Amino acid sequence: MFSYGLVAQTVIKGKVTDDTGEELPGVNVVVKGTSNGTVTDIFGDYSLEVNDPSATLVFSFVGFESQEVIIGSQSVINVELVTDVVSLQEVVVIGYGTTTEKELTAAVSTIKSEDITKLNPARIENVLQGQISGVQITSGSGSPGGGQNIRIRGINSNGDNRPLIIVDGVRYGDDINTIDPNNIESITVLKDASAAIYGVLGANGVVIVTTKSGKSVFKPELSISGYYGIQETERKIDLLNATEYALLTNEAFAAGGQAPIFTDVASLREGTDWQDEVFESAPIQNYTLNYRGSTENTTYSAGASYFNQEGIVGGSKSEFDRVNVNLNVGHQLYDKLKMRTNLNYIKVDRKTLPENVIGSVLFNAINIAPTETVFDADGNFTTADNLGIEIINPIAQIANTFNDTETQRLTGLVGLTYEVIEGLEVESSLNFNYADVFTRSFQPEISYGVDKVFNAEVSSVSQSQQNFISYNIDNIIRYNRTFNEVHDVNFTLGNSVYKTIGQSLFVSGREIPNNSFEFADVRLATDFDDIIPGSSSFDTRQWSYFGRVEYNYESKYLFSGLVRRDATSIFAPENQVGYFFSLSGGWVFSDESFFPSLDFFDFGKLRVSYGELGNDRVPAFGFISQLDGEAEAIFDGEELVLGRAIGRLPNPELQWETTRQFDIGLDLDFFEGKIGIVTDFYTKTTEDLLIPVVPASGLTGTSAPGGSGPSVNAGEVRNRGFEFSITYNDEILKDLRLNVNFNYARNDNETISVNDDEVPVFAGTFSVGGTDDISRFQKGLPLGAYWGLATEGVFQTAEEVAASAQAGNAQPGDLRFVDQNNDGQIDDDDRTFIGSPIPENIFGFSLGLNYKNFDLSTLWEAQTGHSLVRNYERTLPRVNRRDDAIERWTGPGTSNTFPRLTTGETTNNLFSDFFIEDGDYLRIRNIQLGYSLPSEVIEKIGATKLRVYATVNNVFTFTDYQGYDPSASNGGGLNGTNDQGFYPLARTYMFGFNLTF
Amino acid sequence: MKNIYKYLLLLPALLFVTSCEDEFLDEPPEYSIDSENFFNSEDDYQQALIAAYDLLAAVGYVTTITSEIASDNAEAGGESATDVVAWQEINNMEHTPVNDQLRNIWNWNYAGINRCNYIFEFQDKTDFEGRTQVLAETSFLRAYYYFQLVKWFGDLPMPLDKRVLFGEASGFARLPKAEVYTQIEEDLTFAAATLNPIASQQGRATRGAALALLGKVHLYQDDFEAAATQLQTVINEGQYDLFGDLENLFLSQNENSIESVFEIQYSNVQGAGFECLQCSEGNVMVGFSGIRGYEGPIYRSGFSFNVPVQELVDAFETGDTRFDAAILDIEAFVAEQTETVSFVEGFDHTGYYTQKYLPRQGEAFQDPNLTNRTNIRQIRYADVLLMAAEALNRGNGDDAQALAYVNQVRARGGLANINVSGSDLTQAIYQERRVEFAGEGHRFFDLVRTGNAASEIDGFQTGKHEVFPIPLIEIQLAGNVWQQNPNY
Repeated sequence: MFSYGLVAQTVIKGKVTDDTGEELPGVNVVVKGTSNGTVTDIFGDYSLEVNDPSATLVFSFVGFESQEVIIGSQSVINVELVTDVVSLQEVVVIGYGTTTEKELTAAVSTIKSEDITKLNPARIENVLQGQISGVQITSGSGSPGGGQNIRIRGINSNGDNRPLIIVDGVRYGDDINTIDPNNIESITVLKDASAAIYGVLGANGVVIVTTKSGKSVFKPELSISGYYGIQETERKIDLLNATEYALLTNEAFAAGGQAPIFTDVASLREGTDWQDEVFESAPIQNYTLNYRGSTENTTYSAGASYFNQEGIVGGSKSEFDRVNVNLNVGHQLYDKLKMRTNLNYIKVDRKTLPENVIGSVLFNAINIAPTETVFDADGNFTTADNLGIEIINPIAQIANTFNDTETQRLTGLVGLTYEVIEGLEVESSLNFNYADVFTRSFQPEISYGVDKVFNAEVSSVSQSQQNFISYNIDNIIRYNRTFNEVHDVNFTLGNSVYKTIGQSLFVSGREIPNNSFEFADVRLATDFDDIIPGSSSFDTRQWSYFGRVEYNYESKYLFSGLVRRDATSIFAPENQVGYFFSLSGGWVFSDESFFPSLDFFDFGKLRVSYGELGNDRVPAFGFISQLDGEAEAIFDGEELVLGRAIGRLPNPELQWETTRQFDIGLDLDFFEGKIGIVTDFYTKTTEDLLIPVVPASGLTGTSAPGGSGPSVNAGEVRNRGFEFSITYNDEILKDLRLNVNFNYARNDNETISVNDDEVPVFAGTFSVGGTDDISRFQKGLPLGAYWGLATEGVFQTAEEVAASAQAGNAQPGDLRFVDQNNDGQIDDDDRTFIGSPIPENIFGFSLGLNYKNFDLSTLWEAQTGHSLVRNYERTLPRVNRRDDAIERWTGPGTSNTFPRLTTGETTNNLFSDFFIEDGDYLRIRNIQLGYSLPSEVIEKIGATKLRVYATVNNVFTFTDYQGYDPSASNGGGLNGTNDQGFYPLARTYMFGFNLTF
Repeated sequence: MKNIYKYLLLLPALLFVTSCEDEFLDEPPEYSIDSENFFNSEDDYQQALIAAYDLLAAVGYVTTITSEIASDNAEAGGESATDVVAWQEINNMEHTPVNDQLRNIWNWNYAGINRCNYIFEFQDKTDFEGRTQVLAETSFLRAYYYFQLVKWFGDLPMPLDKRVLFGEASGFARLPKAEVYTQIEEDLTFAAATLNPIASQQGRATRGAALALLGKVHLYQDDFEAAATQLQTVINEGQYDLFGDLENLFLSQNENSIESVFEIQYSNVQGAGFECLQCSEGNVMVGFSGIRGYEGPIYRSGFSFNVPVQELVDAFETGDTRFDAAILDIEAFVAEQTETVSFVEGFDHTGYYTQKYLPRQGEAFQDPNLTNRTNIRQIRYADVLLMAAEALNRGNGDDAQALAYVNQVRARGGLANINVSGSDLTQAIYQERRVEFAGEGHRFFDLVRTGNAASEIDGFQTGKHEVFPIPLIEIQLAGNVWQQNPNY
């Protein structure tokens, strides 16, 4: 400008506050259409030089509606920003890009950090539970570091149903327990076909985690938080005490024609409560420190956290310990070139005890006789003789179990973004993950009693060293332009290259010095005879292109379309390439001129999406057969000779499973955003279901040592459902703020076809009765349906037995089975559908109250419609029983639900609905009461915020389920809810603080 | 400085343009041998042969204990009526097509056959000295596995010379058992003609093993002349003899003795687990047959399955030294001991245990019940002699020679000679087989093949129980193309 010197420079000053008069620091103040701007200081004040009185100032701040003020003749401009409750302009992450809440056309849900930290979660799965409709969390184990399962909109696959986890734009591995929930800024869940931007990875939905990054604030912010808590078991199983046990055991022996075991029952009293012996109070603690801020060209965030949890079973023998350190820096290198970097170091140390298997600690605690004591008169562990070879003293077991896994992981990212011209940017990023995993398992020389299968005659140690490396290169071009002020267009075009490799070494040795864990290392072992060291490696690669077009007209008519091409080395060369796509549209009908302007109605949007996604999670190279079977023979008396044999059967036809999903949704906001409603209907069908190890005919040799069935594509399954969520957020009385969220999801799962409809795919063992293949993938049933005999009460008299299909095979007091095919006999053909492992209804409810400096929140969740298999009992003569055996059948008219007890032959242990229980439950997940200290107090220590709180997690579960955890599942499609003593959740009482400077 | 932008822009562009995608993706797995590029050297063939031998350990134990339980020699036993239901049902002749043990027998034999056929599939790929020897051993093993299967299940699907791949099982119809026997004879004839009398390592197939098995196969088809020919060849070649100290024949120091024509080798060098019994290199039936809750000298405790019944005890003549070799009378044993001995009575406790396969101290490794080293004496010279005697006698051949063979076996048992002929001799041979091989798993199929099963085994139905049902799940997995055996 030649007139440069002639233009008057005016300084505009002012203060920015919120609608309560509170000063707002960090508010952006910009002259519209220029890069001239500043941010408000800690007192909300700003000053800015302006050279054009006709210009407009734009005040913007996250969480508030932007305001524009024409300068005119003013030199002081004070502004009061209004809270943007509707948050329609809030940014939503959608995979390789972002959009706004308003322009979103996909079924996407987001959780913000404030909703995360109030739950004090140990893992990110705990964050999702009950907070997002359509997301089901089941507990694989309540043990420290134990796995939880995330399922989005039902179960698609017999194989791997886990959603894709993206952290800061990059796919994370399977070890999501290494993520520190306190460092999460937001979690976004892509539920519908819009996940197709991740192509062959997206069929199970996508969870996008964004961690805390540097913040454009005036003043750096230091936050410190911590909590300490005590955990106890949330539930116990009601078992017989010693007297009851002895009476019932005697009765069973008598019925089996054997002499009674206990002669002096009266003297036994309560006996040992083994669950009390096994469960203990255990500490949990977490401390987090984060420092973040910005300078003119740089944003930064650095933090560290420490988390430690001991187990309610086994204490420090079942411990999880995690250290996270992270650094996140963004820097404007040049005018148009930005760089972002991210570095995370994680160290996890986990100790475990056997769980949810026959012979696990809880299994032993349930089955061991209450007449046994923990220690004998000499102070040695008792040996649980007469209780079968698989049941041992659980306290002795804890003392003699040593398993340790140590993981160290380094994750890093460097990305460059170049703005070519306005609206066009090019981004290139490289990410890597490096992880070392060391495991050590020590088996002392131990005898738990005569013949026990866990006895070891010689001490041994097994160690492994595993190393995982993956890298990902993403190149993305984005173009955004608005034409004629109404046509808004966004293009995204990208290429992604991914490689993951891993290698492992396994070694073991025997004869550990002093039979002691302290010396448990192979270098000190002295016996290596015939021990075969192992190693393994894998290498998987993927090469992808993707593109997305988003268009909207006046933010009213919205459209988005995307396509992705994936090529993956998991499959045979001719099956490597796949195309995936989605199309979605939205209509903000409330913006239509013909739409009546209603006081109470702010916003309405209709969304529709459809697309095709993939899932490639099967072991790599399933299309060829490797000679990794076991081939061992003994010659010349004692010489072990090794050979080579086929392991897993190959399947050259193997390819990904394909999911097609249709979604229609409606978003509504009422009363200035105080009430928000989101509803969705969806239907998704998954074809070519991947089954990782399918049972194969014995003729193929898969039962040989080291052999297994191939991975195959088989069948089709459909999930259909409805989701509804409503939020209410308002200041209902002066100083009393209320926010409520209720969400509900219904999902119906049905198998549409199986490759060979005559032959279902089956899996699972009911160990109580020794029945195999209890869970089915069968046309017309939910995936993993339990298949067994149906019962109709208990035979009361010999006449009833004689008149039934069980004549000759049953006695009065036995379960009466339904003769489904009316052929006059009970056999395998009478098995039928007796329970589904998949919940039909999932509810979540949260409530928050803020009154002055106090805050109170609670989260409840419920699931109904699923069943679990009660499989944590043993049928051996001398094991303990649940206390409903007290109400057993003892003669005509005594019970029509619980059969007689006997040690003799009985059909009562056949797999039937007697062993199936409803898993319906309602759980109070969390109650928290917090108090923020008044500012006059905390200003003395220079802090801006100090909040202390008390919280209880897993407060109580309302359920009829008799086992430890009605929300438990191993997460698989087949046989998911086979309860062999799932580790219960811990009820936790915690005290904590959040301090910000 | 601005130029740097242009170069940076090139970075992504490069990746888009130079599509090295194919090279990137076509990376074969490292350090792995796949099934189609194998068999390039003698070593490869030898290693595949080891894999074929591997299944002998599993098949040997499961067929021995299961057939013993099926016979009139033993009760299933165990801890309770529901302990290993599959054996309880077989013991009671109530078995159905859903039976774990029968499925093991079916699957493990076919797994062995599949590993044999893998070698045959590639038999012409690489030539080397000793190739015929490898093929002969493979033929012997395939014949062994098929013979087990045809005894247990009758007509069979019979894949030959090629692996069965996933989805191919339905292409194999059940062939009449005569055809299976023809194939077995062919394999064994080739093996007998090719194999050395002395194997390079104990436990491998020999000419004697092939001939003896061939003789047995003929005997099972009532082809007495052919049986006698093969068995007498074994006898006349003079390589084997009866082991003098019968009482100790089944101890590990006497494994692979002069009497051993074919012996399945077990060892305690490796641990094992219940989740994969077929993976154990130990003899699993030993731990399962052990004295329940035993604490005392000599023996170790076990799971008290396969307990001999009084009827078997009574079958021994007074003075038969084979009784102590075969049966442990636990009460008598306890009474003899000076130190304290304790044990627990299991289900169907008879007071007897099968001495030949009892767990003994110092014989097992980690998980002692699964890793006992006692070899299974699959074909003993005594078996050859008695089979030869039976073939001669029932084939209307030389009764005198037959009687001589029988008396040779009796003399070793400390019994006087008998002097009978014709059908009396036949009965005497049957009786001799019962006591000589008590606990060794021969009895059930001896009764079946001689038509005596229905009269000796409680619950045995003629026309049904001669063969066992094909596991239902295997019929389904093979596409429902096989008819179940009659009356199951």
